[in-house]
Formats: sequence, structure tokens, C-alpha cells
Amino acid sequence: MFSQACRKIGIKVSPHVEFKRCLLRSSLCHQKIESNAKSTEHSYSNADQGDSEPTLYDKFLQNPQSVPLITSRKLEYPNKYRAPRQAWLETLSTVEDHKLGMVDLHPDVFAVHPRLDILYHNLRWQEFYKKIDYNWTPGRGDLDVTTRKQMPQKGTGRARNRNRDSIMFRTGAKPLGPRGPKALFYMLPKRYRVQGLCTALSFKYAQNNLHIVDSLEIPEDDPQYIQDLIDTRFWGFSALFVDDTDYMPENTSLALAEFPQYNLCPVYGLNVRDMLKHETLILTLAAVEKIKQKLLFHSHRNRRDTKFTMDKRYDQY
Amino acid sequence: MGIEKALKLVRTLPRVSLGNIKNSPMDQKKKFDLRRGWGKNKTHGRGHKGQGQRMTLPKLGFETGHKPFYQRVPQEHYYAGHHLKRQYPPLSLLKLQRMIDLGCVNTDEVIDLTSICMTGHYHFDVDKRHYGVNLTEQGAEIFATPVCIEVQWASELVIATIERLGGVIMTRFYDPLSLTALKDPEAYFKTGKPIPKCKLPPTDAVEYYTDPKVRGYLADPEKIAEERVALAQKYGYELPDLSQSDKLSMFLKRKDPRQIFFGLQPGWIVNLADRKILKPKSEYLQEYYNS
Repeated sequence: MFSQACRKIGIKVSPHVEFKRCLLRSSLCHQKIESNAKSTEHSYSNADQGDSEPTLYDKFLQNPQSVPLITSRKLEYPNKYRAPRQAWLETLSTVEDHKLGMVDLHPDVFAVHPRLDILYHNLRWQEFYKKIDYNWTPGRGDLDVTTRKQMPQKGTGRARNRNRDSIMFRTGAKPLGPRGPKALFYMLPKRYRVQGLCTALSFKYAQNNLHIVDSLEIPEDDPQYIQDLIDTRFWGFSALFVDDTDYMPENTSLALAEFPQYNLCPVYGLNVRDMLKHETLILTLAAVEKIKQKLLFHSHRNRRDTKFTMDKRYDQY
Repeated sequence: MGIEKALKLVRTLPRVSLGNIKNSPMDQKKKFDLRRGWGKNKTHGRGHKGQGQRMTLPKLGFETGHKPFYQRVPQEHYYAGHHLKRQYPPLSLLKLQRMIDLGCVNTDEVIDLTSICMTGHYHFDVDKRHYGVNLTEQGAEIFATPVCIEVQWASELVIATIERLGGVIMTRFYDPLSLTALKDPEAYFKTGKPIPKCKLPPTDAVEYYTDPKVRGYLADPEKIAEERVALAQKYGYELPDLSQSDKLSMFLKRKDPRQIFFGLQPGWIVNLADRKILKPKSEYLQEYYNS
């Protein structure tokens, strides 16, 4: 019904993508989150690009001098002893790679000591905190067996014994086996989780797998466009696109729906496993700001480690 | 600097992915041996009977009932922190005078820690937390040479003795690395290492080396001049006027707080074989050694 209505207006919509679009918008956030006025305009606007505000790249095409070539970005809390890292500001508006400028990245987030063991601990935590071990073996009391003495005390030539559930019998119980569902939940201390995110970002930056983009908007919702873009730039087999909010642009979400290896993610969903699983990581400038602010805040807090409580929502950290 | 090096290395290494991450070897837990393997049946590696098999072995340090060693030896709080304190092996004024009389030491030059060590009559060991020369009072009544001397520790009487004769005394701090260089410069230059930058004194020594009364090298020179006059008045001698002496240039010679050798700057490498001095060219090195 909805798709029929869309066909009349002239927008291409396939049924399975409808469902995914709903997922992105409604079920992830229960409350209405304040988002960029600009990004909502873009996401809800229809195909007419001329009415809405032109992207940075459009402005650049019209007049190269109008778009400021960002040569540096002023960091709020710069590190006195370490120089900031620099990364190209790219765009998804064209298939070809055009650089809009250069941005500064904070060294305490993007140039941290490349420790593999911190990544290991984070990966293990991500795997194990959800695990429940369902193994259960019956003990002596659980076996449905009579309390009759198996054979006379003396005279058989065999060892003396009582009932069938004894551990000495072949068919008896296992004495200290796994007993029921066991939760392997634990919380890795916050400093290691924060450090893990910083380490993963540092690895991605150091190995040229980190790309910063002005926004995730693309001119057409054609999946081939994204494929060509990624092939031209050699971004690899899999890519993770990170935006600061979970309101994703329409064209991007439609185009990326075709590919299981290219994924969209908001900042609150950023985790070590996903960063390492995807070959490239693409962050928007707004996402970089948010990530930097949050990670720096938490890495400099001196609170004692307290027991984990579910008082904060996933996007309020 | 280590982080930068590591990040540079990471650029050339394969992409970090889920398939190539391992825990650090020190963190990997040692597997607990349950002693159920082949050959560990019957007694499970515990032997026969006794405390070993029955898990009733006594605690560590137990000596079958009499007072054990770790309880016999009393604590000596007097010596607490003794192993961390700085030591200044003494050199008496008597010995110094003897060295001068025998011609071991040249009084026309500033008497440095190096000059004293090169005589062969004074020894100190950097590994034993010896931080330099302590000029003692023995021989103060017979000391009769105007000298320009730089020591690490001196008492008031010693300072008075030297200044009464028209000499100059300075107290100067050297960190252990600088001391190894000063003790035997030839051996140090042969290692090929650059001349170290002398570090500032630790917090408990700062008070001493900024005190003009002890002629500390970090003290205000004007205040030192005042103290010279005050000391002369206290001990009742007339302070000789050094500006009239012909050795004025020698008396005015001072080392920069970061400098160890006269005429050589930190960061330079002295090549004795080729008779050359190598100086650092790059900016970051010059910035470091000049700071």
C-alpha cells in the first residue's frame, strides 16, 4: 500500500527497505532526541536538491574560493606535549575523491599507545558479558534412580557399593560438573573500555583506515554509486559509517541497505569489535567532535570504580 | 617518544583485525595443574603419607617451634631509608693541601671534581650513592693556598678557611650520570655517548644549593657577596680583595647549571681517536640540550 503510494509520487521504494527505514528512525530511540536542524531538513527533504541548502562540495564546485580550506581546527583542550594529528576532510558527494580540507585530531584520542592487549580485553569483554553457559549435568540427587543397594556387601568379588547414582559407577553422576545456567557477565573497568575505543581509533588512523567526511549524504540512492565510491577510493571490503545522531540520510540508508558489509552507526553504538571487524571507518566531522569530547571527558575522570548500574541510557554516556 | 615510535611501526604492519589480536604473554593465566595426567595416578605427585600428602605442611618461615629467623632479627628504625640517602665521601683540607704540595693538583685552574679524582688520592663510587666531595675541616689550621675549588658539600669553617686565604669555593650538584662522566672523562668519551645535560638537584637538596651561606650554585650572587662579608666578620679575618689578584679570570669562571665540563657543552660528542668534537645539528636536539 505504502509502496503503491510512493510509486505514484515517483520515489523508488522496495518493501524490505521500508522496514529497515522504520527500524532506523523509530525503534532505536524512544524519546525524541534533539538533532541538527540541517540534517533533519536533508533527511526529510525529497529529491529536489536545488531547494535545500547546497552541500560543501556543491559550494566548492561553484566557487572554490567560497569554501574555506580548513587547514587546522582549534582543539579545545590541546595536549601540551604532543602535536595533534591531521586528517583529510573528504566528501561522499562524488564518486571521485575530492579533499575539502584538513582537520586536526586530538592525540589523546587518535594517537594513543597502540596496545593490542587492551583491544584483546575489550573484545573478550564484548564477547563474554552477554554469554550465558547453559551446560548442566545432573548430580547425585538429580538422577532418577532408586536407593536400593546394588549388590550384597560381601561375596560378589566386586567392590562394595550402594545405589546406582554413585560417582564410582559408569552410569553414575558427575560430582562437580557444570550446574545450570551460569552468567559470564562482568564489566571491564571504565578506563579500559575508554582506552580500548581510543586504541581502536588510533590503530585505524595509523593504518590509514580512518576517513573523515563532512556528512553522510549522497546525491542518489543508487547502491552502485556507493560501490563505485568505495572501489575508487580503495576503502576495502567492509566499511563502517559513523554519524553523530541516529537519524541517517534517506539516500544513504537506501543505498547501503543492499550491502551487509557496509554499515551505518551512530556515535553511541561505536565499539571496538565493530571498528576492527570493518576494514575502514568513516566518521563525520560532527561525530569526531562528539567522540573526542566524550572520550576525553571519561579518560580524565578520577572516580573510583563502582559497581555497574543501569542508570544511564546507552546514548547518555 | 615510545608511543610515536610504536605508531610509526604500526603503519607498516598488517591491518589489525579480529583475527590477529592476542593477549600480552605476561597477562595470560597459568593453567592450574590438576595432576590428573598420565603418570599422576595413585598419589598424584605427593608421595606417601606425612604432611606432604595430607596438606598439613607448616607455614613459610616456621622453624619447628623456636623463635624463627625473621622474628629474631629486630627492626632498626634508625636505619630506615638509609639505602636511599645521598653520601658525600670526605676529603679533608689536610689531604687537599698535601695534594697541592705534591703537585697533583694545579692551583692555576679551577679545582673540579675531575681534578680531584685524577690525582688518584680520592675515590668515590657512583653505584654506592656517592654524590661527590665533602670537604671536611681537618687541616683547616695548616691550609695555606688560595684556590678556586668546586665541591658538593662544605661546612662554614671550610668556606671561611678558603676565603680568608683569598680563594673561592662553590658548592655544585651533579646527578649520577654526570658523575660517571666527571669521574673518568676519558673512559666516558670512549663510550661514544654525548655529554649529558646535568639535572637539577632533588627536592630535599634544593634548599642547600640555593643557600648563599654555603655558596650554592643556584644562589643569588649578590647575596653570596654579602655572606662573604658576614662570614669574615664572624670569624674575624679581613676579606681579601680578589679584584686585585692576577687570577681574576680564573676566580670568575663559572659553569652553567646544565654544564659539566668547562669549555664543553651538553650534547657534544668528543671523539678522542680522530681528535674531533661532534655537535648536534637537528633542532629538537639543540632545543633539548639548551633547555
